[in-house]
Amino acid sequence: MIVKEWCMYCGECAGVCPRNLIEVRETRLNFNEEECKDCKICIQVCPVQALEKRDD
Amino acid sequence: METDILVIGAGPAGSTAAKHAALAGVSVIVMDKKSEIGAPKRCAEGVSKEGVEKLGIKPSERWIAKEATGVRMVSPNGTAVNLTEDKVKLPEAGYILERKIFDKYMAMDAGRAGAKIMVKTLATGMRREDDQVVVTAESMGQELEIKTKIVIAADGPESRVGRWAGLKTALKPKIMESCAQFEMAGVQMAEPDCIEFHFGSVAPGGYAWIFPKGDDIANVGLGVLTTITDKSAYEHLLKFVENNPATKNAQPVELNIGGDPVGGLLKKKVTDNVLVTGDAAGMVNPLTGGGIISGMMGGRIAAQIAAQAVSDGDYSQKNLKIYEKLCEEELGESFKKYLKAKDYLLSLSDEELDTIAEAFQDSDFETINTAEMVRKLVKISPKALLKLGKLF
Repeated sequence: MIVKEWCMYCGECAGVCPRNLIEVRETRLNFNEEECKDCKICIQVCPVQALEKRDD
Repeated sequence: METDILVIGAGPAGSTAAKHAALAGVSVIVMDKKSEIGAPKRCAEGVSKEGVEKLGIKPSERWIAKEATGVRMVSPNGTAVNLTEDKVKLPEAGYILERKIFDKYMAMDAGRAGAKIMVKTLATGMRREDDQVVVTAESMGQELEIKTKIVIAADGPESRVGRWAGLKTALKPKIMESCAQFEMAGVQMAEPDCIEFHFGSVAPGGYAWIFPKGDDIANVGLGVLTTITDKSAYEHLLKFVENNPATKNAQPVELNIGGDPVGGLLKKKVTDNVLVTGDAAGMVNPLTGGGIISGMMGGRIAAQIAAQAVSDGDYSQKNLKIYEKLCEEELGESFKKYLKAKDYLLSLSDEELDTIAEAFQDSDFETINTAEMVRKLVKISPKALLKLGKLF
């Protein structure tokens, strides 16, 4: 997951992640991408569109 | 490190839980991942006076930015209906807080009551050991383990702690409002003593608000459901600010964002050794999105039950289960009504909202009671009967 510079670490993405894979730190998001099923709900709810799926 | 009760999250719900647990005589640690409790704020900062009083908190000018005496509701075409507190009981109207001070103040109260406060401390995991729980955490580069009899999870809408314990705290996007807010100066409100709500397509699935903070300062924000709009909350906010007469010449000094769980109370809020409270447990008024007072009410109940369980020496789900019943009585019943009201409100088109606002614009709310209000509403909007039923 690409976390854009303007992410404000509000944690809304973590709240909707159905697999509990996002850890919200004060100034960092940690994604457990190995377990991610690519549902993209975290991208959908972000209030400032700060998340983008990495192409790989 | 060992404690009787570990509270994770020092927002209003967590600090209230920590304070009341400490007052009950058990040992309490409260941890928060942030370096500054209360910052950044993530809400419009409105609370009811009745709620503050019910919690036994003495209002302080240190954390009250402004007293609001009414509500102004604005339909999509700009028609406004004004309600004042002397005429109608208003949720979320009363005080506009300075959350950065209020949250610290509540945490300080917890500390004074005897709770140990740990800032910049992030819970990273949890495991059961015998009949207790070990929470792993990180604080300023150090890894910690805290053994506790009970965990009160007050870690907000992004709660992970409840899920570590096997509770289903994850939220679906259809019940998570995506919110964005500016604190602005130069706001020219029509009624500077009223909190203001704007309904309709300005905020799909939610509403926009202007909450005065004194002088020309206000929180200007909105919440949307991302399941019914392609734009982000921030994009909707920019448009709202640009088009609203009160804000088009105002300037932002702060941007806040966050999620607001508006689906009502989480059904299962306890398991062995763990209680979930505050936003993490859905303790947010589904209609207004306000969760400060309700979260604190939940935190207080959680503390009472947890402290009793420590005293009993029984931290099982069975012994903690009463927490769910008490929360249901205190919050759940009214939330069910607010959910219905929200469902009705969100079913209305911009035109229907305008028609209703125009019909109520000149109502004398001094003489109109709730039943009359609903009768009038049903006359204008027949689907109110279907959606609201015997709500009031």
